[in-house]
Amino acid sequence: MINYLKSEQYRLVRKKTLHITSLVCLLLIVAAATVLYYNQKADPNFPYATTRFFYSNVIGSGGLIIIVSFLYNFSLTGKDAALLKNAVSFGISRNTIFWSKLFMTLSYFLLISVLGIGLMIGLGETLMTSDSQSVKDFLTALVNILPIVFSAFFLIHSLKMLKVGEVYIFILMLLIFVFSGDLLRILFRPFTSLHEVYKYAPDTLLHENLLNFMNHTVQFGYQHWITGVLLSLIALLIGVTKFAKQPID
Amino acid sequence: METIIQTYQLTKTFKDATIIKPLDFSLRKGEICALIGQNGSGKSTLFKMLAGQLRPTAGDIHLFEKTGRDVAQARRRMGFLVETPVFFPDFTASQNLEYFRIQRGVVEKKRVDEVLEIVSLAKEKRKRFKDYSMGMKQRLGIALCLLSSPDCLVLDEPINGLDAEGIREIRNLLVKLNQEKQITIFISSHILTELQLLATRFVFIKNGVIVEDVSKDSLQEKSQKQLQLTVDDTAKTAQLLEQTYVDIQFKVLPNQVIIIHNHVECSGDINRLLLDNGVSVSEFRIEARNLEEYFLELVGGHGHD
Repeated sequence: MINYLKSEQYRLVRKKTLHITSLVCLLLIVAAATVLYYNQKADPNFPYATTRFFYSNVIGSGGLIIIVSFLYNFSLTGKDAALLKNAVSFGISRNTIFWSKLFMTLSYFLLISVLGIGLMIGLGETLMTSDSQSVKDFLTALVNILPIVFSAFFLIHSLKMLKVGEVYIFILMLLIFVFSGDLLRILFRPFTSLHEVYKYAPDTLLHENLLNFMNHTVQFGYQHWITGVLLSLIALLIGVTKFAKQPID
Repeated sequence: METIIQTYQLTKTFKDATIIKPLDFSLRKGEICALIGQNGSGKSTLFKMLAGQLRPTAGDIHLFEKTGRDVAQARRRMGFLVETPVFFPDFTASQNLEYFRIQRGVVEKKRVDEVLEIVSLAKEKRKRFKDYSMGMKQRLGIALCLLSSPDCLVLDEPINGLDAEGIREIRNLLVKLNQEKQITIFISSHILTELQLLATRFVFIKNGVIVEDVSKDSLQEKSQKQLQLTVDDTAKTAQLLEQTYVDIQFKVLPNQVIIIHNHVECSGDINRLLLDNGVSVSEFRIEARNLEEYFLELVGGHGHD
């Protein structure tokens, strides 16, 4: 497994598109901070040059983060997946392939995320009006987002490894991470005992998290972790089981 | 002698179609075995099962006398090139092989240059894979097979896309690897004349069943030469032949043509016999069936791969 990880690392560091994507993400953060900063300079009454508003762009962009995670995931499971036959015919197990690719892409994604968050806090605290709680609230809100983003990442990885088309993945991600709250609310309306289920839907939780962050009431949300862990387990279980039987040619 | 590949009742079914019917096959150390069959006969499916790309529906595969979970380990002693070689298009040949060198735990870094030299790609190693010609891609596929110094090569259409010179080079390389390093080779190709020059054993597959498994000597015997005569009097010729050679086997064809299947070594005597007895011989030719003719006769049809 170590050799396979090393080879995937060799590939990953030579993926220009991935580095460009990372750079674009980081530049967008800088651009957003710069725009807010200069607007404040131009108009002292400009209300949005606050750290809370700046950080809320991340807390409220769960969908965007999932799209970015898709791009990172795609780096080792996209067209490169055609090379899997070379690895399999050398006796490398499908399990090793599945977990190594997940580990490498997730590590890179986390690394860039940490850099991005560091950059945001650095820029926010230096250039914008900050309240004493904003960084703590930002980090708490991020901890709540984390399991849901992870579950999305795992689901995308599993589906990519199973050669599911991008359009289908996109539709499924929309259903689960954007519309599931509304769907569950409509679906379970006739059942009194299931009325509250929609509160555990990823999109409901992400929305709640944003509102709590903006209202200075954000707290660690165990519901986020229940939903995230459950979705992650289902995604990985399906991925590993089905990939083990997947023809690779 | 060590058995490199052994299958027991190996079967592959896709939905309702059985592509490989229960198949028993073995390949022993040092052999160069050619797998010959038409399109859809099951050659690639068999190769893919050996490579672990496809899971057999039933049956068992033993590689280097290992089975079950140990087969994966045994595959590390083999080099597989099944169908078209696949590499990272944006990587150079060197980078692609370096990726696999790391993956396969080959310690010696210089091995990448060595295998590129072996397949005559050393001068093109900085060219990106997407800029390679079909023949160069094929060579790189062979280089990958050789990267981990395997004991057995399984090659599905390895000379596909190569020019005449390239084919000759690869043939010489394979023969050299077989003779000098005792590498066992299991190969398929649509160029049957090449297989005839290379292989020591020929396995014919049709609809997922091995219909013939012969050694080179046996194949030569089976595709033995025949005499083709064009004479002015076929009846008299037939009479003379039957009187002189009791066990003679021949066929009388239209246009005064006679094909004699045995006593080819007595061609001089036969010619003299006919001339001495007043039979005019306008054509006297010794013919041998090549592998292609033998193949077509065996598996039928016109197309093959």
